[in-house]
Amino acid sequence: MVFNTLTFFAFFAVVLALHAMPFSWTTRKVNLLIASYVFYAAWNPPFIVLLWISTIVDWFAAQGLVRAERTSSRRAWMLLSVVVNLGMLLYFKYGGFLLQNFTVVMNALGVAYKPPPVDIVLPVGISFYTFATLSYTFDIYLRRALPARNFLDYALFVTFFPHLVAGPIMRPTELVPQFETPRRANLSQFGFGLGLITLGLFNKVVLADTLLSGAVERIFDRGRAPGLLDAWTGTLAFSGQIFCDFAGYSTTAIGVALCLGFYMPDNFRFPYAAVGFSDFWRRWHITLSSWLRDYLYIPLGGNRHGAARTVLALMITMLLGGLWHGANWTFVIWGGLHGTYLVAERTLRTRFSGYRPGALGLLCFGILTYALVNLTWVFFRAKDFSTAWQVLRGMTGFNGAAKPILATVYIASTAAVVGTILATHCYMRNRTLESVIARTPPALLAVSLGLMVFAIVISQGEGNAFIYFQF
Amino acid sequence: MTTALAITIVLTGIWEWHWRDFGAVPGYRMDDALWARQRRRIDEGEGDATVLIGSSRTLFDTQLPVWQQASGRRPIELSLVGNSPLFVLEDLAKDPQFTGRLVVGVTPDLFFSGFAYKQGLLRFYRKESPSQRVSKILSMRLFEPWLAFYDEDFALFTVLRRLPWPDRPGVGPAFDVHKIEISEADRNTYLWSKVVTDASYQALVRSIWAQSIHMPPPPGTKPGDAERTADEQITRAAAAVARLKERGVSVVFVREPSAGEFVDHEKRDFPRASTWDVLLQKTQAPGIHYEDFPELQGFDIPDWSHLSHESAIRYTAALYSIIETNYPPANGSRW
Repeated sequence: MVFNTLTFFAFFAVVLALHAMPFSWTTRKVNLLIASYVFYAAWNPPFIVLLWISTIVDWFAAQGLVRAERTSSRRAWMLLSVVVNLGMLLYFKYGGFLLQNFTVVMNALGVAYKPPPVDIVLPVGISFYTFATLSYTFDIYLRRALPARNFLDYALFVTFFPHLVAGPIMRPTELVPQFETPRRANLSQFGFGLGLITLGLFNKVVLADTLLSGAVERIFDRGRAPGLLDAWTGTLAFSGQIFCDFAGYSTTAIGVALCLGFYMPDNFRFPYAAVGFSDFWRRWHITLSSWLRDYLYIPLGGNRHGAARTVLALMITMLLGGLWHGANWTFVIWGGLHGTYLVAERTLRTRFSGYRPGALGLLCFGILTYALVNLTWVFFRAKDFSTAWQVLRGMTGFNGAAKPILATVYIASTAAVVGTILATHCYMRNRTLESVIARTPPALLAVSLGLMVFAIVISQGEGNAFIYFQF
Repeated sequence: MTTALAITIVLTGIWEWHWRDFGAVPGYRMDDALWARQRRRIDEGEGDATVLIGSSRTLFDTQLPVWQQASGRRPIELSLVGNSPLFVLEDLAKDPQFTGRLVVGVTPDLFFSGFAYKQGLLRFYRKESPSQRVSKILSMRLFEPWLAFYDEDFALFTVLRRLPWPDRPGVGPAFDVHKIEISEADRNTYLWSKVVTDASYQALVRSIWAQSIHMPPPPGTKPGDAERTADEQITRAAAAVARLKERGVSVVFVREPSAGEFVDHEKRDFPRASTWDVLLQKTQAPGIHYEDFPELQGFDIPDWSHLSHESAIRYTAALYSIIETNYPPANGSRW
């Protein structure tokens, strides 16, 4: 089920009503669990089995980890979880990709191998919930957390519908304790939750789908070589679209959880105001970057074993992080570029450790960061390398004779929306949404919310799936 | 929150009033979900029904209530605006549950060029999720019959796109089809009265059709390509019709009337002798061409392509009578 559909609103109204009933806390949690399964099954019912497999295997793996005394037994339980979760992920998400690459390699070796046609449907959200369940097992294996006291709390942690299909990627320590005591939103939380839902849907329906997607599709999906203006417009539009789409989802998810009385962590902190790439990754998809840091980068050695090992750990983490987004080499390049940026930044910071930029320097570094991030978005959005090179050639002025593609309306809407996003991110760089809202007159807030809902209504979005659903 | 809600309601009310003042009336959205609902009727026990496929002319000109009055049963409307119906014909040919009667509308520049951008519709119909189905049901109950502005043509970006933006040198004018229809819950559709009564809107619609008529062929088109494409479409249609006939399905092709620059274009670029006549000969199926029947001529065609609602009602009655009289279904049922 997608947040920006009528089905979701009907579903959410029923869930809120059930959650407000004077049932016992256990009954209300069972309601939430059933609702979460309905939420998932509303997309493709049979795939709920995968969710159950992931849930049950990690529950028993965690129990085994607690009981096991020998290191080898603990490792075996941990490996069971890894094999089952990553096995499902490998088959459903990377099966076709692996087969395709295997075929290329075989053919290159002179073996005429033709694979049977495969049509594997990617279960929505599998990358998110496998990471969530894996973090449960890892935390217990690493003795960072105790197992959930009962299966219901644990199953609800895995399945809780606000974060289930596109994050934020929750840790057991963030959510399981919240299920231990009865929760219901007070009026203030409920109002703030509804405000976040409005803001999230405005980002998704109005900005991403209505005002930015057209320019992106015309540049990346039509096969025509863009000139300088068109290539940059398409790429900047995508930078806005991917942010509004994904941050829109996260904001809505946080709002939905808050309306039920639960807290979820921020997933974005105005990333386009980042100065440098380590700053960017502290602001973009925060729950994924912290997951990769804790369960991949640090176990690979992190920065504790010298410069070379740090670079290696960083590059492996970012390359795998890229691959996590999709089964395509373009995503690996995207991750590789970010890894390279991080390594370069780290090297420069070490070499010029005494340098402290002034305001103008910060602005220049901020602009440079945003420009380089945009280069990576080309690989993220392009469905193949030829499209990516075509757009990059346009961005660097090498498609000199290219005919104009975008009509004025697309350039104007991209300039207006992306300009507003950048201005907002700069203003909010060292602020929080909560602090700004607290200082804003209530009348202005009401007018803003009213206008956003009106814009959502007249945009007439058609329930387009969120981009991150495919990851 | 209350103030925000009040602002939303007031602004939405003003927006609705604006579009009603423009002449809009509520109607059902002709989206993939509505088509899938009708297509599923065949799977859910109505496989012996009369099914209409074709392009917008079949959709606008054939009025389901009139057909129902004449035959006693309402047909299933699966025609698609701006698309050749060939892929739907092939899909029905492959579906053993469909054993009824099939009317295939032929709009020459769509059918014989094979132009179809909606093939993804079949995948949608097969894979539509429970959530998508429920959303459509809610939309059809709560919004579509009541709100005139709830129409793709009045959506925010469409409105923005149609503002008088300065032209960008080198970017040609977009082929921007405007709203011309009103649809009901079972896809019964007719021409919007604004196209009939508002001269400037009618001129706008005609100018859009003229733009499509005079559009240059795609780059790389070689002499003879159009004829080869037409032959391919006819061959595919013949195979599908043969498969349908094996199951006892009666098939009739219908060429609906057109006028003005449209009919000139069709006669010039898709001559009857090398398209329509060949189609009937190769499929061995009956066909009704409006030029052959005086009772199918003389209607009001405000935009050169679609009959006015009043004409469509009379046209449907005449068409049904011709089909029922001349080509009664083999199994003794009624069209």
